[in-house]
Amino acid sequence: MVSRSLTESSGRALSASRAFPAFCVPKNFARSSVNSMRFPLPWASCLRWTMDCGSKTPMNNLASDTKNRGPEHPPASRGELTGFLMNMTANTGADSYMLVAIVHGEARNQARIVASNWQFDAIELIGRQLIATLAQGPWTASPGTLPAALTVSSAPDTDALINGEEARLLHVLGHAEVYSLALNVGRQRLFILFSSAQAGSIDLSTLARAQIECCYALSRTPHLIAGTATEDPLSDRERECLFWVSEGKTTDEVAVILGVSSNTVNSYITHAIQKFSASNRAMAIATAIRSGII
Amino acid sequence: MTRPALKDVDPGQPRATFGQVWPQGGSHGLTLADAVRRCRWMALDINADAFALLLAPPAQERARLVPCLDSDHPGIGFSKTIDADTEHVVQHVRSSTEPLWWSKAGDCASDTAPGSLSWVTRISPLVEDKAGIAFPVHAERNQCGLMVFAGDGISLSQDMLYDIHGRCFSLFAAVSRIRSDNPGLKRAMTRRELECLKLTANGYTSEEIARLLRLSVHTTNQYLTQSAQKLNAVSRTQAVAKALRLGLIE
Repeated sequence: MVSRSLTESSGRALSASRAFPAFCVPKNFARSSVNSMRFPLPWASCLRWTMDCGSKTPMNNLASDTKNRGPEHPPASRGELTGFLMNMTANTGADSYMLVAIVHGEARNQARIVASNWQFDAIELIGRQLIATLAQGPWTASPGTLPAALTVSSAPDTDALINGEEARLLHVLGHAEVYSLALNVGRQRLFILFSSAQAGSIDLSTLARAQIECCYALSRTPHLIAGTATEDPLSDRERECLFWVSEGKTTDEVAVILGVSSNTVNSYITHAIQKFSASNRAMAIATAIRSGII
Repeated sequence: MTRPALKDVDPGQPRATFGQVWPQGGSHGLTLADAVRRCRWMALDINADAFALLLAPPAQERARLVPCLDSDHPGIGFSKTIDADTEHVVQHVRSSTEPLWWSKAGDCASDTAPGSLSWVTRISPLVEDKAGIAFPVHAERNQCGLMVFAGDGISLSQDMLYDIHGRCFSLFAAVSRIRSDNPGLKRAMTRRELECLKLTANGYTSEEIARLLRLSVHTTNQYLTQSAQKLNAVSRTQAVAKALRLGLIE
């Protein structure tokens, strides 16, 4: 995960304790509230919003006075996204945020950091691999589910996704408690990590609200997150061909379906394979499905 | 994608996602009827008369919303009144999460109407003669849907908007789980078959897989043929595609 030398050198520098801290399981939630049939979400009846309802977020201030903000509303800039995320961080009681997209590499998933106020050192020391693990861990909450905390504490643990060194690093660098929230922006999926140096300072109900609001905000700024998910390099025809091949059609059948010659179909598919720098059809199709193109 | 199992989760600590709170389809009998009941509560909370969950098909099919369930469960009634042939709505659902709303033709938006809220976008009516609000929802494996509520008396606050949208998300996750849940298939596939499929998806040929897994080429091909049969696929390419879409491999 993290480069061993980095971890060890910093581990020595950061802490003399040999007791390996590790992260422990998500915080305890009242099971009764989870099981209650009607309002399973704790924030359903919770009025502890720290923000004014309505248009007090920076994004909304930007939106003109018209109540009818259609899709033609000009999306906010990068700075405004930062302001929005900082506002969200403050509202939830967190110290830091990190907006992460997961890029599917051949071997392992890599985190691509879209925006963050983490220290540069923290990112370098912890490494993108671990950040991807943090973002996509079993504690990650989809919209509409109860956010669960990853608390980096001192419970010794060897079997976990995050080892002792990494947990200690997180703790020392001020990410003792980390929440990972999945954001659905259309079909794109991003993750936002809210973390605080003090466990328990993040307000769960505000977090759940912030999660939905971040989805909205990012929906409105597609150009800022563009390129985070795998982009679609294919032409319409290439995509169509790949789709039909993924449905089990042979080249000749695709040619009949699309009304072109089978040589053309083959050339479309070859182009698609080249664009994905895949080694064969199966890989091109797998790549396309993994990135949501077909 | 499947998440790695957290081996050390204390069973006493609820890892509280709805997937775990809601019984997994089949064994505990979570049905569409339960989902419909949840929708009814939501409709009640925002004072809507009718609701419908529509699916936005994957990119290659026609841009058209397909009814999944609605307030006339077990039949499909209200969904038929929704103007499903709206490409811009489908495009919105695929690319954005912001709620959509519309008012009755010729009706000025009142204060309780969704128009006074932040983050909502006005569109032309999806349902004739009724105001309404629609929430785009997304689930694993690129599934998209639209949860539509209609009724002239719809009223909701900004907080309710977030709350309802969150509940729509978890509902859709559960519904798509019901729809795609196929525990029999998962059990039928052996570990070796899944390994071979995964390596095929990563671009390896049978020979390479055979070398990697220390099998003979014949065995590898045998595994791939078997997995294609189990997945009811005609070629190994289709088997890979199906396995990815069903979430058997990542």
